[in-house]
Amino acid sequence: MADIQLQNLSKRWGTFVGVQTMNLHIADGEFLVLLGPSGCGKTTTMRMIAGLEDTTEGDILIGGARVNDLEPKDRDIAMVFQSYGLYPTMTVYENIRFPLKVRGIPQAEHHERVMRASATVELDDFLQRKPAALSGGQRQRVALARAIVRKPKVFLMDEPLSNLDAKLRVSTRAQIKNLHHELKTTTIYVTHDQIEAMTLADRVVVMNKGAVQQVGTPLDIYDRPANTFVAGFIGSPAMNLIEGRMTGGVFEADRVRIPGFGGIADGPVTLGFRAEDARIADTGEIAAPVYSMELLGDASMATVQAGGALVAIKAAKDFMAQIGQPIAAHVPADICHLFDAATGQRIERP
Amino acid sequence: MKHRSFFWFFLPTATAMLLFIAFPIVSVLIQSVYAPHEQVIIEVENCGPFGCTATTTVDQEATRALREAQPMGRFVGLDIYFNRAHLAVSEIGALWTAAPDLGTFFSRLLGLPFYGALSFTLTYTFLVTPFSLMLGFVIALSVNALPRILRGPTIFFSLLPMIVTPLVGGLILFWMIDSRGVLGAFFQYLSGDPDLSVKASTPMMWVMLIVYGIWSSAPFAFVVYYAGLQTVPQDTLESAMIDGATRWQRIRYVMLPHLLPLTTFMALIKIMDNFRVFEPIISFQASAHAQSLSYFIYSDLGGETRLLSSAAATSVLTIIGIVILLSPVLVRTWRSFGKA
Amino acid sequence: MSTTVADRRPASLRLALGAFLVFWLILAAFPFLWTLWGSFKVEGDFFSRADWMNAVSGTLTEAETGAPFTGDGYYGAWVQEEFWRAGLNTVIVTVSVVVISLTFGTLGGYALSRSPYRYAFWLLIIALVFRAMPPITLVSGYLLPFFEWNLWGHLPTTIIVLVAINQPFTLWMLTSFFRNIPKDLDESAMVDGCSRFQAFRHVIIPVMWPGVITTGLFSFLLAYNDFAVTSMLLSRENLTMVPKIESFLGTTQTRGNVMFAVASVVSVTAPLFILVMFFQRQIVSGLTAGAVKG
Ligand SMILES: Nc1ncnc2c1ncn2[C@@H]1O[C@H](COP(=O)(O)OP(=O)(O)OP(=O)(O)O)[C@@H](O)[C@H]1O
Ligand SMILES: [Mg+2]
Repeated sequence: MADIQLQNLSKRWGTFVGVQTMNLHIADGEFLVLLGPSGCGKTTTMRMIAGLEDTTEGDILIGGARVNDLEPKDRDIAMVFQSYGLYPTMTVYENIRFPLKVRGIPQAEHHERVMRASATVELDDFLQRKPAALSGGQRQRVALARAIVRKPKVFLMDEPLSNLDAKLRVSTRAQIKNLHHELKTTTIYVTHDQIEAMTLADRVVVMNKGAVQQVGTPLDIYDRPANTFVAGFIGSPAMNLIEGRMTGGVFEADRVRIPGFGGIADGPVTLGFRAEDARIADTGEIAAPVYSMELLGDASMATVQAGGALVAIKAAKDFMAQIGQPIAAHVPADICHLFDAATGQRIERP
Repeated sequence: MKHRSFFWFFLPTATAMLLFIAFPIVSVLIQSVYAPHEQVIIEVENCGPFGCTATTTVDQEATRALREAQPMGRFVGLDIYFNRAHLAVSEIGALWTAAPDLGTFFSRLLGLPFYGALSFTLTYTFLVTPFSLMLGFVIALSVNALPRILRGPTIFFSLLPMIVTPLVGGLILFWMIDSRGVLGAFFQYLSGDPDLSVKASTPMMWVMLIVYGIWSSAPFAFVVYYAGLQTVPQDTLESAMIDGATRWQRIRYVMLPHLLPLTTFMALIKIMDNFRVFEPIISFQASAHAQSLSYFIYSDLGGETRLLSSAAATSVLTIIGIVILLSPVLVRTWRSFGKA
Repeated sequence: MSTTVADRRPASLRLALGAFLVFWLILAAFPFLWTLWGSFKVEGDFFSRADWMNAVSGTLTEAETGAPFTGDGYYGAWVQEEFWRAGLNTVIVTVSVVVISLTFGTLGGYALSRSPYRYAFWLLIIALVFRAMPPITLVSGYLLPFFEWNLWGHLPTTIIVLVAINQPFTLWMLTSFFRNIPKDLDESAMVDGCSRFQAFRHVIIPVMWPGVITTGLFSFLLAYNDFAVTSMLLSRENLTMVPKIESFLGTTQTRGNVMFAVASVVSVTAPLFILVMFFQRQIVSGLTAGAVKG
């Protein structure tokens, strides 16, 4: 077990930037999730930590020791690949045993350790099959078992659940969470699914275009997004973002007027709030005709056009309105987030 | 992959290619500017009872010593390139002033060995390549229309002309078109001329060699086109059908664009292969009527006298020819890679 | 192919395609069958002045040998002219060339397929240029140094030369083949504790056989069918089969000798028939592998 430090880590291909000066300290035993849209550099970061990709700049330290020049095999990590990377010619048993074999761990221990790992992920019935004869979820578990069969310092998992169906994803997610609780191994987990990130992570790193946008606990990220990118990326639906002007503590945009922002300088700002924090009322800070209505099951979602954007407001499930019918929403200042209009950075309220 | 492991993995193949492809290219370049030593001649005075006579003889000893001291021969610069057997510069100059019109000039030019070989090689390359591609395409279309069980055997027989050595394939055809062979007899019957012999006529020989080339190249085109036809995107074809495209329009707008990259690839490969043609000329014993650049080198190298320098010069010219042929591809790669 | 209404070809088109195909098949197969048949005749029948039907009926063969078929051509070639020696040389050359080519080629092709750097691309382009060199031009580069260093005439020299000439093609095929093996496989192995070479040995070698077999077939064909290199670099007693056939043609004009050539042509072609029969699918996929992927 060990902590991981990334110091000014960068990766470039020619002029294309894959990862931009990343600084991160991952504590021993922490479960860290890298979250971001496709192509933002999550896999690249992870592969640099694994040693499968050379770094362009910066250092990687595992347990305090610089590992930049070590081969993957000498970094004492285990990795679960998105496509699992199972060895097609070996049985499940041999697949799980492979790391022990090539690392020269005494033969006598192999059987017991393989059996323990396979029992942890409930694979005992499939040990003599080849990977081709397994379902996606079973393959996934073989990959997990192969990672835990020896005790590495670090687990790296690259979208391990993305090839599974929705139901299996939920149960395997729980299994991974439980496994981490049991083993307490430092884990870096890559995903672009925010539910996965929220449920698994001790801390989440939100990335975009190779740059870290925010590092924090899931709650932090949800409640206090550091910029408009994070605000617009996290949550379902994402935070409503309205561009407007602040004048004397009052936010104004087309069909929007929210007072109560004392101490905020005048000028253009972006205002954000979550659909579930607002509520439908007879009169309110936003008054606009309905653009669409969706029934979600436990609630319904009204969308209106205001401030030049589509704004979602959560309503009771029996709330009904025709498209085009004017409605109003109560959006008090204290549920709102403010962002700098130019930089998109969060503006702290006094 | 790290540079170091790449180096070790790539070392064996790189060594082989360096020693036996790159190095020989350098070697022909050097050989082509050296000519073999002439024999050392000495004058010996033989004095007998009837006075002295001077005779010249070859000093075997000195010749051998010279050859051993400088095995490359003597440096002659570009002389070999310009001599009659190669670029024949002075001969061309003479022809140019002597020839009454352009037509005679060219027909005499082709009488020069190098230009004759060059013209046959180019004719062969640029007739065989397109025709074999077309023939292959039609075979692929026909096989594609065949019920599945018949396709396997058809492909088997279709592969045969390609898979045999050019020398052997050439011989098999040659024996048939011999004036005493089955096809030769057939041609005689067709033309009504019992003395007709393909071997005796230059145009017929060229035609036979080109027919052989198409026969032996078509299977490659067929197989590649056939595989290409299997991967034509079915949903595009189907949406074209729904859009109301006729059979011909579907071929024109869906199939051909899909097959175009294959055609480019095959044309490239076939141009390379056809440019090196020479075994059929041996099989057909056609060297009196048609020589290719490769055959030219081959005949220089073979035989008792092994004209190494002459062969080297022709080789260099052939390599330059290949590079010119390939240059469009190379330039395109260079450009697209510069952009990327 | 499906047979939906829209897909059905008009009868006239099908007829035309069918007729064309029959024509092509005759063109492709008849010369081989004819030569096979004729190789069991005497020269007077195979090359019949009087009537080509003699080759079918074997009139002269019957008159000369007492039976409609004769193995004289084969006996003459294999025993009298010692074609078996050439056969043995061919076996040695082809087996060695295939084994060495594939060893070098898999290592190099694997490296090329896994290298993200630009030089890998340029190495492939250089290989393409090398592939375009007519072998005979290279041969004219070999002769002088080989004479100087007494390397000329021996089988090992020819083997290594054929291996080298074969490398560009082998590299191209195997690189495109290895690119289709997911990188995840060797990368997981390296994370699991293998060095690059161990990853290659433990997880890539077990899955590479289909591509290697296909490539091996083409290496075999190249070595087996080569004429330019073998005819120029081998001494008389070391000749392989193909250049040996040529020597039947050139030197001896005596009657009957051409039948030795016919018999040996059939002998050389027969193994290829069997090869195509067993490996048709691999040959087809190998021919297309490079093309379909560009
Ligand atoms: N070898 C390479 N050469 C050039 N660019 C690359 C290379 N590998 C990755 N990239 C680019 O780097 C960027 C980041 O890629 P990366 O695989 O890290 O994304 P990701 O965040 O894992 O995305 P996803 O969620 O789709 O897996 C992408 O835009 C990708 O195109
Ligand atoms: Mg990724």
